[in-house]
Amino acid sequence: MFKELDPILHSQLRLAVMSLLISVKQAEFTFLKEKTNSTAGNLSVQVQKLKEAGYIEVIKECKDNYPNTTCKITQKGIKAFEEYVKSLQQYLQVKK
Amino acid sequence: MEEKQLSGEESLKLINRMIYEAKGYFYESGLGGIIYGISISICCILAWLFESERISFPFHPLFLMTPVFFIQGWVQYKEEKKKKAKTFTDEAIDHVWLGYFLSVFAALCGNFVNAGYIIITIILLLTAFASFITGMLTKFRYHIICGLVCMVIAIISFFMQNVNIYLLMAATGIVVWLVPGFVLRAHFKKLNHAM
Repeated sequence: MFKELDPILHSQLRLAVMSLLISVKQAEFTFLKEKTNSTAGNLSVQVQKLKEAGYIEVIKECKDNYPNTTCKITQKGIKAFEEYVKSLQQYLQVKK
Repeated sequence: MEEKQLSGEESLKLINRMIYEAKGYFYESGLGGIIYGISISICCILAWLFESERISFPFHPLFLMTPVFFIQGWVQYKEEKKKKAKTFTDEAIDHVWLGYFLSVFAALCGNFVNAGYIIITIILLLTAFASFITGMLTKFRYHIICGLVCMVIAIISFFMQNVNIYLLMAATGIVVWLVPGFVLRAHFKKLNHAM
């Protein structure tokens, strides 16, 4: 019997954001947008969902007189991501 | 990228691709290295001319490095702000160089007990280690080679405990900071041009 996949992470854009954030200490919104090739509006919604789940921390600040958003993965986010990958591997092994 | 449910295989592929993309992020204009390399080389040549009594100077030329530290610190701060993401490698390199500068400061305290030219040998060794570790972390082969060359210079300096040691330090400035600075700057310009 394998665990159900986390519905928060089991979506393309949210999973892409989490995969990017797990590999870096922190990243700007523009970096995430560039790497995921998504629109600002869609990315903003997904970032908000991850934030509400407590998986990421969103820091809003001013950089050279422009608003700048930085995202950082939380401990809860790291744990959830690890669990997700474990479940995924388990699921794929069963499928084989 | 759209909002859609993924299959197991697709999820794993996406995770791999994103991790690869994030780890490949690199932003280094090389400007800090160029400023520091030029300054340290000029100051060391002036120190050599001064101590071998070829020129007169109101104070020891190495004191000129004090404002350079602040200028280079400011340039580095500005460069850091331009980075869109901070990787764990960036953080590790920052710690290596912070440790380096603190160790150099500790070594310079040896001047209070007139430790002499051996302080410069210690600084050269520290520079070699810092450069080598940076190269290992970034997998930038040139830094690894610089670290090894600098280690050879440091070993030579053990047998050159006289005023000529400043020339070895000037050479280190060129090898460790100036040349990699130009290499990184060329790479940075090429990347920006490609975008």
